Amino acid sequence: MKNKLTNIFKNWEFTLLAILILEFVIFGSINPKFFRIASIFSNINNYISICIISLFVTFVMITGGIDIQASSIVGLTSITIGVLWNDAGLNIWMAVAIAVLLAAFCGALSGFFIAYCHVQPMVVTLGGSFLYSGLAQVISNFSKIPAYQGISGFPGKNANGDYISFRFLGKAKLFDLIPIQIVIYLILIILCYVLLHQSKYGRRIFLVGDNPKAAEYSGINSRLIIFSTYVLTGIGAAIAGILLTAQVDSAKYNLGSTFTLSIITAVVLGGTLTSGGKGSVIGTALAALVICLLRFGLTLCFNISSQNLDLPVGIMLILVVSLRQINRIVHHLD
Amino acid sequence: MNKIIKVLTESRWFSSLLFLIALFLITGAINPTFLSYGNIITCFNSSIVFILLAVGISFVIMTGEIDVSIGSTMGLSAAIAGSIAQQNGSWVMMVVYAILLGLAVGFVNGVGVAILKVPSLIFTLGTYGIVRGLVYIYSGGRTVENFSGAFTRFSNSTVGNTGIGIYLLIVTVIVLIINVVETKTRQGKYFLAVGDNYDGAILVGIPAKRTKLIAYILCGIFAAISGIAFSSKYGQVTIIAGSGYEMSAIAACVLGGISLSGGLGNVIGAAIGAVIMSSISRLLVFLGFSSEYDNTITGILLITIVVLDSLLRQRNVENARRERLIARSCSKKEIRKGHSQE
Repeated sequence: MKNKLTNIFKNWEFTLLAILILEFVIFGSINPKFFRIASIFSNINNYISICIISLFVTFVMITGGIDIQASSIVGLTSITIGVLWNDAGLNIWMAVAIAVLLAAFCGALSGFFIAYCHVQPMVVTLGGSFLYSGLAQVISNFSKIPAYQGISGFPGKNANGDYISFRFLGKAKLFDLIPIQIVIYLILIILCYVLLHQSKYGRRIFLVGDNPKAAEYSGINSRLIIFSTYVLTGIGAAIAGILLTAQVDSAKYNLGSTFTLSIITAVVLGGTLTSGGKGSVIGTALAALVICLLRFGLTLCFNISSQNLDLPVGIMLILVVSLRQINRIVHHLD
Repeated sequence: MNKIIKVLTESRWFSSLLFLIALFLITGAINPTFLSYGNIITCFNSSIVFILLAVGISFVIMTGEIDVSIGSTMGLSAAIAGSIAQQNGSWVMMVVYAILLGLAVGFVNGVGVAILKVPSLIFTLGTYGIVRGLVYIYSGGRTVENFSGAFTRFSNSTVGNTGIGIYLLIVTVIVLIINVVETKTRQGKYFLAVGDNYDGAILVGIPAKRTKLIAYILCGIFAAISGIAFSSKYGQVTIIAGSGYEMSAIAACVLGGISLSGGLGNVIGAAIGAVIMSSISRLLVFLGFSSEYDNTITGILLITIVVLDSLLRQRNVENARRERLIARSCSKKEIRKGHSQE
């Protein structure tokens, strides 16, 4: 029995897959609508940001850090695009480029303090979450449109009713079925997988997380590696912010402000060790899917309002970390 | 006298007090209308919710852990206290329910972090979600309001004509008592000892796990009690009441000189930090800024302080090592000199 248990925990990705299938079976048997691909896809905008950001936060957590500022960068990106396009009159792609640069800079600032000044990641990103959400609020003041309303009317539809330009990123569908966000997400998964599991850079991330001193002595610039993961997360949050803005056609300063719990849950559920040195992109992607399907299924099958969903996600997080820890304690006692 | 000055300048809470006074003076220099007795007392009066939260979480931070569930706990307790107040219930009921709630949440957190050894941020993020969900379930997604008048009036009542609110008086007494307990009693000193050196604390026989568990339970209870103050002060409890407060409480502790790696700081610092945190938006108004700059200023303050703190600490470590090296090489030279003279 004990062996079985450890085996399951060793193949964590298979367990996640099993949970995923279980979710399909349970939710599907209660409400057949669950299997309608279109209904799943129509809800995708609620979840895709969490999925995308958690991919990049995996990098940070493998180095032994944590990033709780990403969700405030989502709102910052969104409002920056809105204000630059609507009030400064810039080309929309120019605005997007500047917003991505700003997000990368935000990530870099926190990363600099963490990697080069050796301040705890938790504190810096806490300060960052205040700073960047505050900055987003300040930027929203530059707009003629009141902040609560959100800047809307982004360029997007041509005469035929097809989505083009900026809104293409939010509304377009591949083969009239698969939303563009999913395509982008899949591309990002592949990119992150190659970056983390197939490249020299990825191996260095693992080494820095596992044993920073050993990494330093073997000639790896561990500070630069740690720094770079925060920049990547900033860019990831920016991508999420762009997709979300394009989807809802509204630039708001507080978009995504409630994502933190789900992001961290997805990364931890995906098998990433919070102490660093272990984790995988596939695990995070699967875990994010598990959480999203859980949230979707609970609202569809049990009529639970979407505000209540912190509860199951929280229970899931606690169960996973506690079981993993109990398993470890039992294992050590042998 | 010299000793007192030395103690004051070396204690971290004193520099936060100086910082608070400087903030008030700078604001007063730019806008003299700020420096009235009434304004300053209002700054203190309006910070009691933050003080209670910061004092609670300071126990946990001193042991080197973190608790992000306090905002949710506060929200749930505020909703419970609110619904009791709707029926004109008694204070005793509210306090009893709050303590039970805080005990339960704190116990779960404590077991997870101290005994199962789950990283504290992860575990308390989980309880944050669960308790926040319970707030929705308890209040049915509606705002709890229409309290009995006595409940909200109590928060505005003051001690005589001094302008000092009754809550402020109670909270000040609590903070002073805790300070005495922490500096004079054995159990009180355990918190800092466990945070400073966990393994060392176990080796000298301190019940480290139990200390962490107690820290979490105290944190939960204080968060729940701050919920009562919250609902009586604001007169209504929305379903998102208290979300984000956990971050402000942590920031207050950092501003008050409590090190987030544990083992450093005291409860008076946490209280002063909380006053700074809650006064910033008020000060901004007097400085002629919109209070929307609140988060930005808080973020900048927080990052600046922790980065400076970390850099200063590294310099101290570096200096100490250099002194050791110099001392060692000097002693070697002297030995060599001794040899040559022989």
